[in-house]
Amino acid sequence: MSSPQRHAWIAAAAWTVLSILGIVLVAGIQVIPVIASREAEIENSAFVLLTVLSVPVLMFVVVGLAYSALRFRANGDKEDGPPIHGSRGFQAVWLSVSFALVIGLFGYGAVGLIDIRGAQASEFEVQVRAEQWAWHFKYPSGVESKELHIPVGERVHLVINSDDVIHSFWVPAFGVKQDAVPGRPTQIYVTATVAGTYPGMCAELCGLGHTDMRLTVVVSDRAGLEDWLNHNQVPGPGGSQPPPSGSEPPK
Amino acid sequence: MKALKPGLTRAVLGAAIGGGIGIGSLVLASSAGLVIEDGQFLGLAYLLALIGFLFGIGAFRFWVTWAFGREVDAADEHAAHGTAGDWRRYFRFTTDHKVIGVQYLVTAFLLFLTAGTFAMLMRLELAQPGLLLGKEAYNEIMSTHGAMMITVALISIIGGLGNFLVPIMIGARDMAFPKTNALSYWLLPLPILLVAINPLLGGFDSGWTAYPPLSQQANLGQQAYLMAFVTVGVSSILSAINFLVTVFRMRAPGMSLMRMPIFVWALTVTATLMLVATSVVAGAFTMLLFDRVLGTSFFRASRGGDVILFQHLFWFYSHPAVYIMGLPGLGAILEVVPVFARKPLFAYPLAVLSFISIGVLSFMVWAHHMFVSGMAEFFHIPIMLTTELISVPTGIVFLAALGTIWMGKLHFKTPMLWVFGFIWAFLIGGITGVYLADVPTDITLSDTYFVVAHFHYTIVGGTIFGLFAGTYYWFPKITGRMYNERLGQLHFWWFTLAFNATFLPMFWLGIEGMRRRVADYPGQFGGLNLWISFAAFNIFLSVAVFVFNMVRSWRRGPKAAANPWRAHTLEWQVASPPPIANFEEIPTVSEGPYEYGGGAGLPAEGRAAP
Repeated sequence: MSSPQRHAWIAAAAWTVLSILGIVLVAGIQVIPVIASREAEIENSAFVLLTVLSVPVLMFVVVGLAYSALRFRANGDKEDGPPIHGSRGFQAVWLSVSFALVIGLFGYGAVGLIDIRGAQASEFEVQVRAEQWAWHFKYPSGVESKELHIPVGERVHLVINSDDVIHSFWVPAFGVKQDAVPGRPTQIYVTATVAGTYPGMCAELCGLGHTDMRLTVVVSDRAGLEDWLNHNQVPGPGGSQPPPSGSEPPK
Repeated sequence: MKALKPGLTRAVLGAAIGGGIGIGSLVLASSAGLVIEDGQFLGLAYLLALIGFLFGIGAFRFWVTWAFGREVDAADEHAAHGTAGDWRRYFRFTTDHKVIGVQYLVTAFLLFLTAGTFAMLMRLELAQPGLLLGKEAYNEIMSTHGAMMITVALISIIGGLGNFLVPIMIGARDMAFPKTNALSYWLLPLPILLVAINPLLGGFDSGWTAYPPLSQQANLGQQAYLMAFVTVGVSSILSAINFLVTVFRMRAPGMSLMRMPIFVWALTVTATLMLVATSVVAGAFTMLLFDRVLGTSFFRASRGGDVILFQHLFWFYSHPAVYIMGLPGLGAILEVVPVFARKPLFAYPLAVLSFISIGVLSFMVWAHHMFVSGMAEFFHIPIMLTTELISVPTGIVFLAALGTIWMGKLHFKTPMLWVFGFIWAFLIGGITGVYLADVPTDITLSDTYFVVAHFHYTIVGGTIFGLFAGTYYWFPKITGRMYNERLGQLHFWWFTLAFNATFLPMFWLGIEGMRRRVADYPGQFGGLNLWISFAAFNIFLSVAVFVFNMVRSWRRGPKAAANPWRAHTLEWQVASPPPIANFEEIPTVSEGPYEYGGGAGLPAEGRAAP
């Protein structure tokens, strides 16, 4: 004989075991493939936390479904099931847990958000300009380039503009993405943590050349960056001139 | 003359004449020295063609008759309602809600197949790195696929199943405004055709979101899409008013709000969203059209316009629109569950409340589509909160479904299989939605394949799984014949496995950094994309099984009993298919819709064995 309590206990046991297994499996994983900035680190830990919390939720539904599909088949029985219209206690617990999860997630997300996007002092500002279909970067000293060069370990302020349509500045390894909007400068901060060269790209559909609208970021120590800036002080081989703004994109 | 009688022939003629007048008058104007642009030609020609089409189909004849002081001919009115068994009424301006429901449903499935074919072309391009069809063609195919599938999700359940079933489920003889109902259907063919042929006008490549300034640069095909969207919006608003008045004014005696089937509740909330939200997007698209055609500058940054404003207006509709698509699916699922679990719907009042809460909250979350757009900085925080809050009422849908299934007597017929498939798919869609609601993770996931996977899990998982569950469940009622159970189950398993094989890997692609809306990608993603293309092709094949099953069963399937599922709701207490006036006598309702396992049991005619 299987009483309602027995069904509930078996399912609860299966849920507990599977949830623990799942959590052990996902805790501590690196989700973002390459992490090279403080922002990407924050995002990765948010990823892990959400995944850890998702496991019991997922398992609850999956175990409920699977157990029902196995044990509650009618198998030709024409009788109806028990006339249960609801359970006040269970509904109350369900609602309380959902609310608690949501408020917890919101608090954690808000802290992370302020950490990533909040305005803070920055020693290095780069003007980013997007057009169909290229990126241009301009440094405080007036140097311009097609690759973005930034120092490691410093909070860099990127001010982003667009000449024509909406583009989006995205460097996956930095975990930063910000649309470039015509007529309205946008901004984002990034603190690179590992020197190296990283690919970036346009993430907002911007027409025919969107697929190929890529960019490169070079992260070096302060000395290396100063060298590069001095080397390119006079517009020369390294820093190309942007075309005049407002030029019509090729159709 | 036969062609001059209201009907399709006259409609096509009317459209041609209207379009001709539009083009002709502008040709005259330009020969008189005015500068007329292509967009203006298209705009006026389309508007007049639409009016001509509606006149031709006979949409205005009752109102014209009345306006000229003539008596409306009773025989004519009867003819508009149609005679049972006459297939020609499906191609006319017929006012019977059951005919209109079938018109919507068949139109939606035809559109589903067309948009699915576009999806196959996308997967062909994406199967391997490199270019096959080309970037321009890809952007156009992708945009058209999106626009069409959105239309399918918007109209299929509420327009198709809703029109057919809601009046019967609440014990009414028809919708409140039968002529407006027919009008809202016949507004659709022309805009759908316009979207389908937009490649001939140069295509549109800005995605279904049509963000300016990109959409202001684009071809004439873009304008075709904007005009089509606004027309579909008008149709939605008319249909929403009709549903609301029907539900609130035409219920049978005893059919209190808390005895309404959950499907009717879902559609009531949906209709409210349609009524309130659609006008906003129709406004935004009209402003965008004016920017193109009339030279205004609402969204032209170069002349002081604001491109972010468009995104706010667009998503203020288009996020509720996600629930306009989703709620009918959730309603259909919760309608099916009690019947095949033989138990009352668990927590029915809470489920109703959750639909209403989803409806209210859906207006407060739009800006989560704009976390990287450059909108006001502080606004991220309240929007993150409301977006995560909406998972509470959405979770109640799972509570209701699981609570009903638990301890039930489960009959795994095809509709019930789709319920299980729905719960899995919608759960994945819901959980991954949290990653996109949380701003830190969204910053990296936004505009990647993670988003593509997420919204396919929610919209296919919510709407299309609900649509299939509902279509199989009500097929005997609609057609009077049974579908083939084996083919139905084959369709379910094939579709569900292929669907998961297609979209689960896309989450990983997104995390790894593959952008959405690109025709080409780095070689490292090649293997997985080939797999996805192969799986997607299987989705297409499984739908062929569905189409075969539906067509064959409709023509030659075994006759269905009035109530093959032993369900308690009103639509199953009348013959299959229902008689033309639905009920010989308006029934009096004395109990809730899901009193399984107790209560008074079934009315006599429902006792026919399954």
